[in-house]
Amino acid sequence: MKTLFLDAPYAGLVELSPETLDYLIKKGYKKVGLYASVQFVNRLEEIKKQLERNKIKALTSRPDRAHVESQLLGCNVHGLNLEGDVDCYLYVGDGKFHPLALVYSQKKGQKEVVCDDPLSRKMSLLSREKVKTTLKKYKSFLMKFLTAKIVGIIITLKPGQEHYAFSQKLKEKYPDKRFYYFIDNNISFEQLENFPFVDVWVNTACPRIALEEQDKFLKGVINLNDALNANEVLAGF
Amino acid sequence: MYQLELNKAIEQIKESKAKTVCIQLPDGLKSKSKEIVDELESKTKATVLIWLGSNFGSCDIPLGLERLKVDFLICWGHNQFHKKEEGW
Repeated sequence: MKTLFLDAPYAGLVELSPETLDYLIKKGYKKVGLYASVQFVNRLEEIKKQLERNKIKALTSRPDRAHVESQLLGCNVHGLNLEGDVDCYLYVGDGKFHPLALVYSQKKGQKEVVCDDPLSRKMSLLSREKVKTTLKKYKSFLMKFLTAKIVGIIITLKPGQEHYAFSQKLKEKYPDKRFYYFIDNNISFEQLENFPFVDVWVNTACPRIALEEQDKFLKGVINLNDALNANEVLAGF
Repeated sequence: MYQLELNKAIEQIKESKAKTVCIQLPDGLKSKSKEIVDELESKTKATVLIWLGSNFGSCDIPLGLERLKVDFLICWGHNQFHKKEEGW
């Protein structure tokens, strides 16, 4: 089927608020990792000039799955592809969903995420501290997965999110575990408790589901890629 | 505040001669759906349906639209998704 994507670009002024610029200068940040949501990503020229005028270098990349450079997706919890070290991340856009990916994408050695919202002209800060409860629970679910005997793998059918073939690797990696596959369109959280024989769930759809929606999985949930490297991921916590 | 780029949508519906169009919007733009349907139906010959469900990203495309003979899908608020076969 023919599909057209329309970015819905922001129509207003896109430049850093004085609050954000002052903060970056005050903190002495010299290199920032610059990202934006799709509504703002084609409007970063003025922000780059503002940073340049203040001798702050903007580094960026095209993260995995994104269509253009500097575009940040909520699923970019891995694979930012940024080369070079930065002092902090600078996110341009509204809301917290996208910039939280920058927090989750980092393990040890956390860099601050400075968010500039062009709509409200306000700055906000995000760090690992904001998600520490989620990460603590996630760590406990990783440990649970390692000792679990019966694992429920959730596959969603939407083409962009479906990873049935790749999830087969779990069986090779953990021959002593018994895996059952559960298929859905959107994950029906209210159905999970109807399968009480499952010790722990593995999510193969959007990785943010196993973070923001973790309370809906009473048996616990981890993401497919973390399940495949559970010991290594645990060591990173 | 956000540009809906309706001219682009109208142009492409006409170009593709689509008869049944489905529009998919993120939650923040769903309230604009009436305005969008009214505009697209008045400027093209297509019937325009609204996707009620989620639109978390361009990874989240509706399934089964063919059953209603939808021949053109327009998704606002996202651009093309480059799936990685080796998970996330």
